[in-house]
Amino acid sequence: MLAQRLLEEILGIAVSGGADFAEVYCELTRNGRVSLRNNLIDTIADETVSGVGIRAFRGTSTVYGSTSDISREGLIKCARSVASAMGECREGQNIVLRERIFPNIHPVRIVPASAEVGYKTELLRAACASASEYDKRIVQAVGNLMTVDHTIQIANTEGLLTTDRHVRTRMAVSAIASNGTENQSGSSSPGRGMGLEVFELFTPEEIGRTAAQQAITNLEAVYCPAGTMPVAIENGFGGVIFHEACGHSLEATSVGIGCSQMCGKLGQKIANEKVTAIDDGTIPGAWGSVNIDDEGNPTQRNVLIENGVLKNYMIDRLGSRRMGMPMTGNSRRESYLYEPTSRMTNTFIDNGPDKNEDIIASIDYGLYAKSMGGGSVNPLTGAFNFAVTEGYIIRNGKICEAVRGASLIGTGSQILEDIDMVGQNLATGQGMCGSSSGSVPTDVGQPLIRVSKITVGGR
Amino acid sequence: MNFEALKNALVEELTALGISEYEIYYMSNSDTSVETLNKEISSFTSGNRGGLCLRVVYDGKLGYASSELMDTEEMKELARRALENAKHVEKPDKVGIFKGSDSYEESRVPEYRALSAEELKRAAKEAGEAIFAYSDKVKDGSMSQTVSTGFVIRIVNSHGLDLSTSCGVNAAIAEAVVAEGEEFQSAFALEELKPEDIGGSLNKLVGKATDEALSKIGAGLVPSGKYNIIFDGKQMRQLLSVFSSVFSARMVLDGMSMLKGKIGEKIAAPIVTVTDDPQRDGSSIGTTFDAEGVATHRRAVVENGVLITYLHNRETALEMGVESTANASKGDYSSPVSIMPHSFAIEPGDKSFDELLALAGDGILVTELKGLHAGANPITGDFSLESAGFMVRDGKVCEAVKSFTVAGNFLSLLENISALSNELELGVATGFTGFASPAVLVPGMSVAGK
Repeated sequence: MLAQRLLEEILGIAVSGGADFAEVYCELTRNGRVSLRNNLIDTIADETVSGVGIRAFRGTSTVYGSTSDISREGLIKCARSVASAMGECREGQNIVLRERIFPNIHPVRIVPASAEVGYKTELLRAACASASEYDKRIVQAVGNLMTVDHTIQIANTEGLLTTDRHVRTRMAVSAIASNGTENQSGSSSPGRGMGLEVFELFTPEEIGRTAAQQAITNLEAVYCPAGTMPVAIENGFGGVIFHEACGHSLEATSVGIGCSQMCGKLGQKIANEKVTAIDDGTIPGAWGSVNIDDEGNPTQRNVLIENGVLKNYMIDRLGSRRMGMPMTGNSRRESYLYEPTSRMTNTFIDNGPDKNEDIIASIDYGLYAKSMGGGSVNPLTGAFNFAVTEGYIIRNGKICEAVRGASLIGTGSQILEDIDMVGQNLATGQGMCGSSSGSVPTDVGQPLIRVSKITVGGR
Repeated sequence: MNFEALKNALVEELTALGISEYEIYYMSNSDTSVETLNKEISSFTSGNRGGLCLRVVYDGKLGYASSELMDTEEMKELARRALENAKHVEKPDKVGIFKGSDSYEESRVPEYRALSAEELKRAAKEAGEAIFAYSDKVKDGSMSQTVSTGFVIRIVNSHGLDLSTSCGVNAAIAEAVVAEGEEFQSAFALEELKPEDIGGSLNKLVGKATDEALSKIGAGLVPSGKYNIIFDGKQMRQLLSVFSSVFSARMVLDGMSMLKGKIGEKIAAPIVTVTDDPQRDGSSIGTTFDAEGVATHRRAVVENGVLITYLHNRETALEMGVESTANASKGDYSSPVSIMPHSFAIEPGDKSFDELLALAGDGILVTELKGLHAGANPITGDFSLESAGFMVRDGKVCEAVKSFTVAGNFLSLLENISALSNELELGVATGFTGFASPAVLVPGMSVAGK
């Protein structure tokens, strides 16, 4: 991390082009990856990400410079280029920083770098072996163990100087099932903002089995029929529906420039009254949690929708300037190479009033989406899509045959009204969310919900 | 520190550790970008990054370690980490570090001239203003962006191989937001900025984005059913991109490709030829060697519907007893060596776009596919994708339609292509890989709509 004197000097230069605010973000990240395929440890690789991003604001105009050259000369050159892109440079300003330490609410017991490599390879071997043993039709199990140890330092011309360290661990298993003529796949990839102690929460064996079970289910499944029907979406990663259909449209990135279906709707009813949705970056050890966001603000629990009424947006510093509203601790970026923007952390629909069994029983003919893949959205129109990775037909209130190859499409404003039953088994799933500030870890979540009507893309 | 000093520090430590076989892969990127929002410049970004990836062979196993931290201490640490990683790998490395190809093609990759910050600002402002001047339906939220991105790669190894290359691309993006009454629509376009004709590139860009956004206003819904589908070149190249891993020999060997055992067999309609060309005409990104240093050449992967070869690196080529096709690839400097095409294209056919429409008769022209990272599964080939486009009736493009899905299987799609247009849509390369395709006609695909 950089010395206080150097940070003060860089900030002084960065504002010298007429900026009213400047910020320095310094990063040192150690990424580790162990891969297993064909029953052998295949690759072990690690990477040091090291660099600095310097940002300056004048009103709502921004200039951002990044460099992996963290020598004093390299940093001064970067700060000068930021200042001169803003305007004619005057003398550097005198900046005084005062250090702050925010509480660490995500303790780590087994720091990945401190564990033996052999310990990690055994975890992975256990996961893939359990996938292979699940069924003789499993022909391949590919496993990856990914660890991130991320230290950041943030300083700005308001005098803030702070640091944070964030560790996260994720295991992903892909299982391939084959009947000799065709292949199907299944996957499971849980993670947490924790060290290797995470495997006391869920075992490698469970991860392998879940992936294998999904691959076998899909091998036995028929193609999903196409059409419009009621859909019950299961908890966990099912919450991607809210993430895509609504979450992105509540980010200042789109609201702040008037390009969201949710602009101007604060205080209005935008969803069924059974829907309460929350973004909470403070959940200890959760995948999308951080102590402070990438602008140095502590994360918060933000109620976005309460009983169907829009209560808040997710707002970073630039969004705050554009919208005239306070920041919400949602500023995030993949690395120093990206200018940060408003992003989700752990976003979920809260438990509702309906019993899960009543939700399934209420559907005469429809789809039960047990497991979801990713998706995408246009925040302006709210048009979204996402993939069903494990699905079943519901007939006369009972879950029947497995179906594969389905996707769900619709528009956010419509689906929020059509979520007409909300169950009580809230759980989260882990994803990597891609947007203009890169790929960041986010949790999605919900209990079992019913959508009264949605277009199911099948055959 | 400069590259030579870093290399010397590394080699010294490697020698001390008893490692005699190694490769240093160095990459540096330099990017500049200007964005406008509502005609005014809203953001300027620039970045410089260099990173170094070390691969070592120890006891017949391969170990990797990478870093952007360029100092002597870190280089020593890098050598130790790569060795430690190699010790725990179980897969034997049968190919080792590459000694070099006998000869390399002469580079035809166009020399890259990064547009200056001033040129980028001017072009972004011009594009931003042109979007608003294009139609009075254009609204706030419309954006433009110009970007120059260049990179340098150098591979140095213990066999004395020392290869380097550099290239880059200037590009512009326009996002038009339009409204009529209560309805808002947006569309996005990306064009390469040719330094010799910036004005022409920007006109094309702004026209594309704004026309597309305007065309979506009032789009209707489609009844579910079977339709003749025309994918325009951009959509078909996106499909080719998301399913390109089925051609990877690694995926074949690991039982994760549908093309296993199909070399020499018909896998596509006889009119379909797919080529990989590391120095494709018209592309700004190109190379004469792959990520292992193997000399690259143009080759047919599918010829008249028959699968000729998989895409190989040295490891898969050895396992299958063939020559490498020089498709070793690294997604980023720090990534392990994998397999990717260079510039992968379905070769154009002989029909004009109007002839393609006439052949379709009634159907849907698909001009937008979304969520390909989720709705397409390269292992099974199945896809079901959010789509938008236009109804085609009696060979004529009619009203806009939206919110439907097109579903199918990639291999069945290749087999069912009944016509190809004569115009190749070459995408701007992302990283080192580009994709290209003409528009294609596929009869009788499943559509889910209202």
